Amino acid sequence: MNLFKIAWRNLWRNRRRTAITSASILFAVFFALIMRSFQLGFYDHMIRNVIESFSGFLQIQHIDYQDDPSLENTFPYSAELQKTIESTPGITAVVPRIETFALASTGNQTKGALIMGVDPVRERSLSNPENLLVRYRITHEGIDRLNEDGGLPQPVHEKLKDILGNSYTNTGSIAMDLELDEKEDSKILDAIASVSHFPGRYLENQDDGVLVSDRLAKYLRLTVGDTLILMGQGYHGATAADLYPVRGIIKLINPELDNKIVYMNLPYAQDFTGVGDKVTAVGINLADNSDKNMLAIQRSLAEKLNSDKIKVKNWKEFNPVLVQQIEGDNQSGKAFLALLYFVIFFGIFGTVLMMIHERHREFGMLVSIGMRKTKLALIMVIEMFLIGVLGVISGTVISLPLLYYFHIHPIRLTGGLAQTMEDMGFDPLMPLAWTESYVIWQGLIVALMVVLSCLYPLRKVLKLKETEALRN
Amino acid sequence: MKVIELKNVEKIYNDSEFKVHAIRGIDLDFEEGEFAAIVGPSGSGKTTLLNMLGGLDKPSAGDIMIGGTHINELKGSKLIDFRLHNIGFVFQSYNLIPVLTAKENVEFIMQMQRRPAAKRLERTRELLEKVGLGDRLNSRPNKLSGGQQQRVAVARALASKPRFILADEPTANLDSVSTENLLDIMEQLNREEKITFIFSTHDARVVKKAKRVITIEDGKVIRDEWKEEDVR
Repeated sequence: MNLFKIAWRNLWRNRRRTAITSASILFAVFFALIMRSFQLGFYDHMIRNVIESFSGFLQIQHIDYQDDPSLENTFPYSAELQKTIESTPGITAVVPRIETFALASTGNQTKGALIMGVDPVRERSLSNPENLLVRYRITHEGIDRLNEDGGLPQPVHEKLKDILGNSYTNTGSIAMDLELDEKEDSKILDAIASVSHFPGRYLENQDDGVLVSDRLAKYLRLTVGDTLILMGQGYHGATAADLYPVRGIIKLINPELDNKIVYMNLPYAQDFTGVGDKVTAVGINLADNSDKNMLAIQRSLAEKLNSDKIKVKNWKEFNPVLVQQIEGDNQSGKAFLALLYFVIFFGIFGTVLMMIHERHREFGMLVSIGMRKTKLALIMVIEMFLIGVLGVISGTVISLPLLYYFHIHPIRLTGGLAQTMEDMGFDPLMPLAWTESYVIWQGLIVALMVVLSCLYPLRKVLKLKETEALRN
Repeated sequence: MKVIELKNVEKIYNDSEFKVHAIRGIDLDFEEGEFAAIVGPSGSGKTTLLNMLGGLDKPSAGDIMIGGTHINELKGSKLIDFRLHNIGFVFQSYNLIPVLTAKENVEFIMQMQRRPAAKRLERTRELLEKVGLGDRLNSRPNKLSGGQQQRVAVARALASKPRFILADEPTANLDSVSTENLLDIMEQLNREEKITFIFSTHDARVVKKAKRVITIEDGKVIRDEWKEEDVR
C-alpha cells in the first residue's frame, strides 16, 4: 500500500469537498487562462497590426530621426547598404521607405496624409499593400440589382443594408460581416461579389500613380482613375506639390492608418520631396520574432553598418508608446491574476485545514502505531497536489477548446468598445493567444499555491502530539 | 524474561494554574506472556500509565525500560520506529485506516517495517484467519461490525511482531457477544503464542479473563494480584 494510493483514496473519502476544492481551482484556472489568453492574444494582435505588417521588427533610421522625424534626418539608401543588410541571416524583408506628411486634396476636400514612398515589389514583404486592395464595395446600386434578381434571403438582405458603403479586400470578409458560411453560402456570396466589384490595381515599377487608403479616399470622395493633389514641404524647406493618378484604393487593418495613407513609388516620393537617393527608414522583418533573436540581429547589423549617422532600432525602441500600452495593460492583468491565485490559495488552504481538523485523531493513531510524521505529511501533500492537478487539468481541458476556437475565430467587437479600439488605432478584434508558456505557468503557480497552503498544516503534523491527537 | 520495567515512574501535568500528579512513583515489571489488566476508577492514571508504556507520553521522573531500552531517552523518529517494531496498539474506538481494507490495514504496518511483499501477504492472511476474518480480507472498516473492526485492530497490532500489545479499553464499544469473542481470541493468542497483552479497562469481563490485575488509584498501584493458575 503505497502513500500515493492512500492519498488518492483519502481524496474520495469526502467526495463533495474534493469536488468543491477542485472546482474552485478549475474555475480559477479557466478564468485565468481565458483572461491571460485574451491579453496575450491582444498584444500579439497589436504587434501584428503595427509592427509585423507595417513598421517591421527592426528599422534603420538616421540617428536623429526618432526625435525629429523630418526629411532633414534622412540617409542615403544604396545598393551596397541593401546588400549588407540582406546578407545578415534571419532577415526576411528589407524595405526602404520615405515617410512624410502632405496635404491631400481633390479640390473640394483636403486632409493631412501620410505619404509612403515605397518599392512596390519589396513592400509586398512588409505591409503588402497589394493584398489590401479594395476589390469589393457594397453599394446602393449593387443591392438594387440583387433585389431585381431576387433570391437573396431576407436576413442577408437586411444585413447588407448594415454594411452599405463598406469596402472589402476579399469575399471572406464579406461573409464574416454577413455571418455567412463561405462554403455553404457560396452562391449568395458569388451573387453579392458579382454586383460589388471594385476596380483598381497595384503599383507597378516606375508607376507614377498612387494607392489611397479607403477612409481617406471616402473622405476625399476619390475613386480609381481620379487625380490626387499632394502639397507639402520638401527637403530643406522646398515646396513639394504634384498631381498623381489614383491606381487603387487600399483598406488597412489599422483604422488610424486607413484614415491617412497614400502609397507611391519610392523614386516619385524622392522626387516629390527632393531628397535625392535618401530614405527616412529601412523596415526589416525577421524569420524569428522572439526578443532574443531580434536583439541578436540588431547587434549584428549595427556592427556591420558601423556608422555614426544611422542606427538600427528595434520596434520597442522606435515605438515606445505601443510598449507602454502593452506593459500598462499587462500589469493590470497580472494584478487580476494575482487575485485569482489568492482565491485558489484560500480554497486549498481551507480544505487542508478542514482535513487536518477532521483527521487529527487518525493522524495520532498513525504516528502511534509507527508511521513517521514526515510520511504522514507527505500523504497530505500528495492529496493536495492531486486536488491541484485535478483542478488544473480539468480547467485547462475545458479552456483549450474555447481558446482554440477564439484563436481561429477572433471576436469582432461592436459598438463603443470597437470605436474605442479604433480610436486607439487598432482593428476591433479580440483574438485569443493559443497554448503558450502561460498554460504551463498556470500549473506551476497552482503547484506553488498547494505548497504554500500546506506549510501551516505540515507544521501542525510535524508538531503533532500523539496523546493529544488520540484524545481528540 | 522481563519485557517491561518501570522504576519509580512519576507523571506530573503542569497546568497554568495547577500541578496534576497523575502517576506517583510506580514500580512495575511485566514478564513475557502476561495477560494483565490495569484497572481503576476514572482519573486514576490508567491511560497515562498505558501511554507511557507505549512511548506516547514521557514520565516526569523515573525510568521505563522495554527489552532493555530506556524509552524515555528516545525522541522523534527513533521513538516512532521503536514503537513500530516493539509495541502493538489496540484502541478503544478501533482506529483502523478507513480507506484501507482489512487486509491492507494489517499489511500496512508490515510495509512500514519494509518486510517483503510475499511475507507480508502470508502473515496478513494468517493473522486475519486467526481472528476469524479470513473471509473479510477485502472489506473496508465501514463494512465491518465493531467487533470485527476490533479483531482487525488486534491482527494489525500483532502484524509487527511486537514485544507486547497495549489495549486501551478495547471492549468499551462492543456488545457482550463481540466482547467475549474478542477476549477469547486474545486469550488464545496469549496462551498459544505467548503474546503479552496489557489492558487498561473498566470492563469486568476483561478483568475476569486477566491473569494479573493491577489496580491503581490516585496514580499509585494499590493492588497487584495474580490469579492462582498464573502465580509466578
